Amino acid sequence: MKTSKCYHCEGAARGRRDFLRVGALSFLGLSLSEYLQLNSLAASQADAGAGKAQSCILLWLEGGISHVDSWDVKGDSGFKPISTNVPGIQISEMFPKISRHMDKLSIIRSVTTKERNHPQGTIETLTGHRPTPAMRFPSFGSIVSKELGARKNMPPCVAVPTPVDGDFFSYEEAFRASFLGAEYDAMILPDPSRPDFRVPDLRLPKSISSDAIEDRRSLLKIVDRNFRRREELADFKKMDTFQDQALQMILSPHVRNAFDLTQESEQTRDRYGRHRVGQSLLLARRLVEAGCRFVTAAGYKQGQWDTHQQNNKTLGETLGPLLDQILSTLLEDLDQRGLLESTVVIVTGEFGRTPQINPAGGRDHWPDCWSLLVGGGGIQGGQVVGASDEGGAYVGERPVSIGDLYATIYKAMGIDWTKTYMAPVGRPIYIANGFEDTPGSPITELI
Amino acid sequence: MMTKWAMIEKRRKILGVGFAVVLILVLMPLPAGSAAKGRPGDGLLSIHLVPQDVTLWGVGASQRFLVLGKYPDGLERDLSGESQFLISDPDQGKIVSTGKFVAGRTGPVILTARFEGQQAKARIEVAGRARKQPFSFARDIGQILTKRGCNTSGCHGSIKGQEGFKLSSNVLNPREDYRWIVEGGTYQVLSVEAKGPKIPRIDLENPEESLLLLKPTMSVDHEGSKRFEVDSPDYRRILDWIRKGAPYGDEVGPQGVSVQGIEVFPLESVVSLGGTQQLLVTAHLSNGHREDITEQVHYVSNDPKVLEVNESGLVRAAGSGETAILIRAPGHTVSASVGVIKESVVDYPKLQSQNFIDELVHAKLRRLKIIPSELSGDEEFLRRVCLDLTGTLPPPDRVREFVRSRNPGKRDELIEILLDSPQYVDYWGFWFSDLLRVTFTVAGSAHPTKAYEDWVINSIAANKPYDKIARERIAAQGYAAPKWFNHIALGSLATPEKIMAENVQVFFGRRLDCAECHEHPYDQWSQNQFWGLTAFYAGLKSLKDTVVVTDILGGGDDPMRQTGLIHPRTKQQVVPTFLDGTVLPEEKWLAPLTGLATWMTSHPYFSEAAVNRIWSNFFGRGIVDPADDFRITNPPTHPGLLAALAKDFEGHGYDVKHLMRTIVQSRTYQRSGISNATNKEDRINYSRSLSRPLQAAVLLDAISSATGVEEDFDYHEWAGGGSPPSGIRAMQMIPDICLSQFMDVYGRSMRKRPESGNPAPTLGQALHMWAGPTYTSKISKQGGRLQRLLERGDSAHQIIEEFYLAALTRSPTSEERAELLEFLRQRDSRQQETLEALVWALISSREFSCNH
Repeated sequence: MKTSKCYHCEGAARGRRDFLRVGALSFLGLSLSEYLQLNSLAASQADAGAGKAQSCILLWLEGGISHVDSWDVKGDSGFKPISTNVPGIQISEMFPKISRHMDKLSIIRSVTTKERNHPQGTIETLTGHRPTPAMRFPSFGSIVSKELGARKNMPPCVAVPTPVDGDFFSYEEAFRASFLGAEYDAMILPDPSRPDFRVPDLRLPKSISSDAIEDRRSLLKIVDRNFRRREELADFKKMDTFQDQALQMILSPHVRNAFDLTQESEQTRDRYGRHRVGQSLLLARRLVEAGCRFVTAAGYKQGQWDTHQQNNKTLGETLGPLLDQILSTLLEDLDQRGLLESTVVIVTGEFGRTPQINPAGGRDHWPDCWSLLVGGGGIQGGQVVGASDEGGAYVGERPVSIGDLYATIYKAMGIDWTKTYMAPVGRPIYIANGFEDTPGSPITELI
Repeated sequence: MMTKWAMIEKRRKILGVGFAVVLILVLMPLPAGSAAKGRPGDGLLSIHLVPQDVTLWGVGASQRFLVLGKYPDGLERDLSGESQFLISDPDQGKIVSTGKFVAGRTGPVILTARFEGQQAKARIEVAGRARKQPFSFARDIGQILTKRGCNTSGCHGSIKGQEGFKLSSNVLNPREDYRWIVEGGTYQVLSVEAKGPKIPRIDLENPEESLLLLKPTMSVDHEGSKRFEVDSPDYRRILDWIRKGAPYGDEVGPQGVSVQGIEVFPLESVVSLGGTQQLLVTAHLSNGHREDITEQVHYVSNDPKVLEVNESGLVRAAGSGETAILIRAPGHTVSASVGVIKESVVDYPKLQSQNFIDELVHAKLRRLKIIPSELSGDEEFLRRVCLDLTGTLPPPDRVREFVRSRNPGKRDELIEILLDSPQYVDYWGFWFSDLLRVTFTVAGSAHPTKAYEDWVINSIAANKPYDKIARERIAAQGYAAPKWFNHIALGSLATPEKIMAENVQVFFGRRLDCAECHEHPYDQWSQNQFWGLTAFYAGLKSLKDTVVVTDILGGGDDPMRQTGLIHPRTKQQVVPTFLDGTVLPEEKWLAPLTGLATWMTSHPYFSEAAVNRIWSNFFGRGIVDPADDFRITNPPTHPGLLAALAKDFEGHGYDVKHLMRTIVQSRTYQRSGISNATNKEDRINYSRSLSRPLQAAVLLDAISSATGVEEDFDYHEWAGGGSPPSGIRAMQMIPDICLSQFMDVYGRSMRKRPESGNPAPTLGQALHMWAGPTYTSKISKQGGRLQRLLERGDSAHQIIEEFYLAALTRSPTSEERAELLEFLRQRDSRQQETLEALVWALISSREFSCNH
């Protein structure tokens, strides 16, 4: 009784960092119920970021959306521009629903990158660096996670769903934390639209009782005592902390609920669409609400936006309407829940597409000038940044780098965007890496 | 001191960027501050002077001398600062500062040093007149830029330079350095064109107003702070040069006398905390002369917390440990690694050696006064050697049998059994498949992947000489195994420069990648060397939808003999060129890869990279670590050992099993992990066995073996789906077609790169440990070890014993046994659940998941 009271009074004054320190000790020192109590205290801690934005959802249009058919309608596009709820901004007729939410997102029409193929382009867009065999770069989501830190026992960085084909192996690197440490790697979740959707290892088998968990902890202590007396490595202690944290996640209803899509109404699940992309986006919303920092909602099969053939038909019949539905649903949903103020939303693929239709009626890869959407979390909506040239091929005005995009989001989150990390090879890395390896700058029109 | 290593280094000088490695182990057993005072009475045995015999070329030439004292603890201490120096004839020259002699006239001189009643002599011959060397920008101005640290990778020697001013690191490219200084402009990575306004950094009209003088003297703002004073010798030399019109002068090369290599003394020294050691740096000139350049080079400590060094090369031991001093001269770098000890051990025990590994490891331990741990016990050795040679745990009966055996040769017998076992082929087949990247991802169908894997595994099974494996792989072209690698590599990496860089990483243990786009910042690789090697792989041909490597360059009917490969910066065509600048003669363009393979496998880098990589498997760290990151800024901890292993490997026909046998038979490998007072902190000198995490596949197989429940694998659906035959182990599977949540979580290599780092802990692993099927359902599964023992009616005592043997290869200590039995007794009503918890604890323990 006395002990537990003591924990209460001490615990109440503890910050998140203190908890982590206690966490490291607790695996050896405290009973299960004691450290669960401590943990619920930690979970109730207030958000730490200095900016308005606390988290970010990336809607990943894998393959690369045709900019001249979507956000920057131009040239030989088979689609007409339509007006939006922001006077003066027009987007493609594919998106009547999104057009009613244009005040929430801004369009950058002068993004320019270098890499012309999917794996390399994905790495460039998601890390800010062109790939090199000499080293690997941390992903944007991992950097955000490291800078803001985990909250409410949730894994900070998540990507959903697990890609279905082997091509994923080429992209995996773009979701990794690299030298920042495995704790900031994206946790990759299975397809949430499947009826058997379940996050692995988050639920104990029924046969294992809470007594059994308590026994396991005690026995591990006994078994490992001799060995750890002989040698105590930093990695061993790190694993203690993870084991604690894992147990919190497994035993905490908050975490289990966050991953449980069945807690959403049927109506909401329908609005997002009963498919990989829609349910992934819905799960992303649930996860940022529960405390994740950066969630990538993907789910397009590899090549879906990669419209080398039949561009107009594919966009007009399937991809366009689907994106119109899910993105407008997300924006409404975030707005209604009051999450738009604290959640950055990015909608992009790895590059744009050629402004000329090719002989197969498709468009090919085009990094020289393309468009993306960003908004929420204190970033101005309803703006157009930069412009492409007449044909939509090259930057007309105000080139924007991936580093500039990152810097804008860092600013919204209260992260110092000029920061560098020292990579293990001894090379300093800008966390917002702009043109020619110079630091990117926040887009002043947006923040 | 001309070790095999030094000879290798000497050969490297052909590259024009040669270096020698000097080890200075600083060891002094005295309380700080008393390094030499008071110490002399404590048994100083003798003193001697270094160098013993020198020739100085011309009046004014100088040489610095060291006085070294020998002590009963085996150490040599630098007594120069406390010694008295005398010259036989004062007209012959003078001593200008500690131990530094300046020649006054030609003829012989005897230098005498005195210290506490002891004396030592050295002979100096002042010969003729030095031939006046013509001015050379590279040598004379380059020396100042190097000595003053202007061209280090942290300053103007960084990839893009600083503030628009770029210098090549260590005067690697004197022509370009000259251009940026004299013509001005800013370096560009991808073009030889200068960027920005061309403002020269010298002013011929007003030499004193040159930026090259104003900046380093802080006469104008300079972020790099003051590098020298106005009117200092360096200042005056630059000023004179500008006044004379800033000529480029002689190319250092055929016309002038050039520096062939530089050497540092002492090669190995040990200093006690607070003690000092003066370094001597000598240049070997192309005319056969030697020159003392101790004061003309740039010194940097790799770890200033351990060693401090001043600009004259005086090293001070600031903290205990071991690190290197890097010494830079134009075009040359040497590194001197230095150990610092807190206390000396006078009664250092006599150590038994099994083979040359022990002799070399012990020699260093003795210098560092670290006493190694005892030999490991049988259980400890058995687990370690089984995991290292076969990636498997021994079953309980084998453990009992081995421990019981009284045969004195049982360890050697065991080693032979393991080397000849099918598990050896599985494990090393898997290991080499990781290294040589056997994957399915790009091949996209089973046949070629299997053919490539078969080639790897058959090579291991036949113990094919390693140089032959390498030649087959490097020279491969077309489609069939092992040629399939090139096809796979091209599918995912697509360019000759990627294949070349990978081959250099795999077979030379060096990372040239950085030099693809710019000069290597931490090594002396130039972009030209990178592209010269890449040109060997320029013979790519498109066949159907894929690109394949052909061993032919230029079209047969092409009189111009184009490689088609363009240097990204100079935009010139590159031709196949070895690292030393030798161009592959055109008549050999019909089989360039065959030529490359022969050259690579006979290069000194080849064996040292191979032995280092294999060594790292057995010790958890390489002699150069990371094992494939040889570079001058990352020197080996045991250069002599590395050279000896490489020589032994070559001498035994690149026999991989011989190398492994030599390693595991050594006492160094068989040390216990239990530390003593002197080796607790040591992690790099092999004084005890260190823990290292098991790789994902080994760990998964170990869990299956300890629980007695095989893993059920499934093939990936894009590899056709289905399941392999039961009983197959993780290391028998090609990772990217083998679905395994466990191995994903534990960070298996998907073979996208040849690297293989140690697994690091993650939250995912911790979740899996609590709730994943590997750690839950296996334990209680029907037919598993626990069920079998329970059905057999074994007692708790027996079950504990059996699981300790199966998982940890040891019996529980009596303390552990008693505690566990008591724990079980208290939970008598749920005995089985508690035993399951015990099995969980065993396979979740750090002791289980590491080799040690």
